[in-house]
Amino acid sequence: MYLKSKLSWNVVLPAENLNAKGLILQKAIISRLMANFAAKKASKDLGYFLAVTTVGNIGEGKVRQQSGDVLFPVDFSCITFKMLTGEVLEGVVHKILKHGVFLRCGPAENVYLSNQKMDDYHYVPGENPYFMNGRSSKIEKGVVVRFLVIGEKFMEAEKDFRAVVSLEGDYLGPVS
Amino acid sequence: MAEKGGKGYLPAKGGKSALKSPVGNGDSSTKSKKGKKVQFDSEDSFENNIPKSNGKADTPAGKGGKGDKVANGTKKPTVKTPSPTERRLEQELPPNSVCLMDCEAAEILQDIQDHMVILSQDPDIKLPVSFDTGLTYAKRGGNYAKPQTVKKIFEPLKKHGVSECEICLIANICPDSVDEVFALVPTLKPKMSKLREPLRIALDELGNLKEALANLKDSK
Repeated sequence: MYLKSKLSWNVVLPAENLNAKGLILQKAIISRLMANFAAKKASKDLGYFLAVTTVGNIGEGKVRQQSGDVLFPVDFSCITFKMLTGEVLEGVVHKILKHGVFLRCGPAENVYLSNQKMDDYHYVPGENPYFMNGRSSKIEKGVVVRFLVIGEKFMEAEKDFRAVVSLEGDYLGPVS
Repeated sequence: MAEKGGKGYLPAKGGKSALKSPVGNGDSSTKSKKGKKVQFDSEDSFENNIPKSNGKADTPAGKGGKGDKVANGTKKPTVKTPSPTERRLEQELPPNSVCLMDCEAAEILQDIQDHMVILSQDPDIKLPVSFDTGLTYAKRGGNYAKPQTVKKIFEPLKKHGVSECEICLIANICPDSVDEVFALVPTLKPKMSKLREPLRIALDELGNLKEALANLKDSK
């Protein structure tokens, strides 16, 4: 689900970026904020960072004794994408293994659907393996599948999420 | 369906005690962490975990371990009161955050992308790597009207105790029928009798709107 959040971050500007003209300073602070936001990529609580939408109050700068950089507290709003447990989402199958399939759901690449969580589907090996159930519903590469999120975890090092999902329940499965 | 619901909550909510006993292959690292969610520590444990989560749902296995009481004790409340999931869903939202419908997100992100045509001339301005995939996912439905309209259609549901978060879930699912909503958002089930009618009206309106928009597209 997409989240809109209000955050307050400190933006550090090197002294050479300081400019007496108000607008230029503001622009420098905002573009530094956007760069920091882009570099952070994702967080455990907020999910994948997508965009800064509005910048609110920019507080008074504080000079750092050692470096001479100036630190500005900035309030802003942003949009993020997070998979919540219990949520129903859609994903595109991009890898098929004997034990299950990997899906891509928005920015998340590692969404795993185990074959044990899609009981009626069985694995059909071959050059292009796929899963199929009794009603000839096929899960193959490129197919869009609607699933229920049963768990997710943030990988701190990669700044990426992994999720396990399920097809157990009505109205879940490949979307035509 | 109730069973499905139960299974869905188990790994997330109660499971602790039922969990520890059936899992024979449980390595200690996962045990200690096993609090609320299905966890996986590394790429390999991805698959290790699956049998576990299944083991949880398997009551016979649980019985073998700690006895009926435990297995039943954890199962009953989860099946009977599905509200914990909802609370958790809302709880999962970080502070100072609200959820958005896909169409709302699509509108805001699209607006930003339109501006990027000019803004990208400035090398200082950067967008996160997830921006494009995020926008594509938000736009996948494609045929929704303005978010304000969709919001208005679902507004009456709030009077019946449907939360903002649940409304977003419903809108994102693009459901065709009332039953589909109840199947996919199980937290609404306790209010099923009250909600059926207002939901049907909302979905009908949404259906009409979608149809009208599709016709408009065709005629262009």
